[in-house]
Amino acid sequence: MMPTRFPELLRALSEAGVEFVVVGGAAAVARGSVRLTQDLDVAYRRTPENMRRLVKALSSHRPYLRGAPVGLPFVLDESTLRAGLNFTLVTDLGWIDLLGEVTGGGGYDELVRHSSELELFGTRCPVLGLDKLIDVKRAAGRPKDFEVIAELEAIREMERGG
Amino acid sequence: MERSSERYVDPVIEAYKKDLDRTLIRENLRRTPEERLRALMEMQRFAVELRRAARAAR
Repeated sequence: MMPTRFPELLRALSEAGVEFVVVGGAAAVARGSVRLTQDLDVAYRRTPENMRRLVKALSSHRPYLRGAPVGLPFVLDESTLRAGLNFTLVTDLGWIDLLGEVTGGGGYDELVRHSSELELFGTRCPVLGLDKLIDVKRAAGRPKDFEVIAELEAIREMERGG
Repeated sequence: MERSSERYVDPVIEAYKKDLDRTLIRENLRRTPEERLRALMEMQRFAVELRRAARAAR
């Protein structure tokens, strides 16, 4: 695997006009987490126009299903996006997860209400806020997330002067 | 019961908080969000290099 090229991925999405919210580990890092994460998770709006933009943003970067056997036919196009919901992809720019819905967080319309725009690599990107990140991790209910929740809550406390 | 993250105090999570390195987090909070993501990419590169070295040592 290769390091994820966050600047190029975020710029590709922004320049294509994709409506998305950065969620997951990358959002946690942007908010202050020091944990290692490998991919960029984005929640995308599932309108036909936005799915067209998403395809435009990623199609030149050779998107392929992560972990799928080599040679398995896969084309990231609007019909693929319409037929599925969440996609874990590898691209020339690294790993990206496209999420139509996030457990405990809902879809783009719900998540964007709990995000704020951050200046990242010359573009302004909506990034999920700490409160919702914590709610989503709690909703996932996975023991592996306990440390993450503890860290995110500590960040929130520290930002409030704790 | 609704468990809003603002109100709900989970004793398991509180136990995990005791082991956090807050100096590391405090240092990270002094960075901009972009600097934090750049630091993450550096960590990823380091992890890739470690894996490569481990494979070569086998």
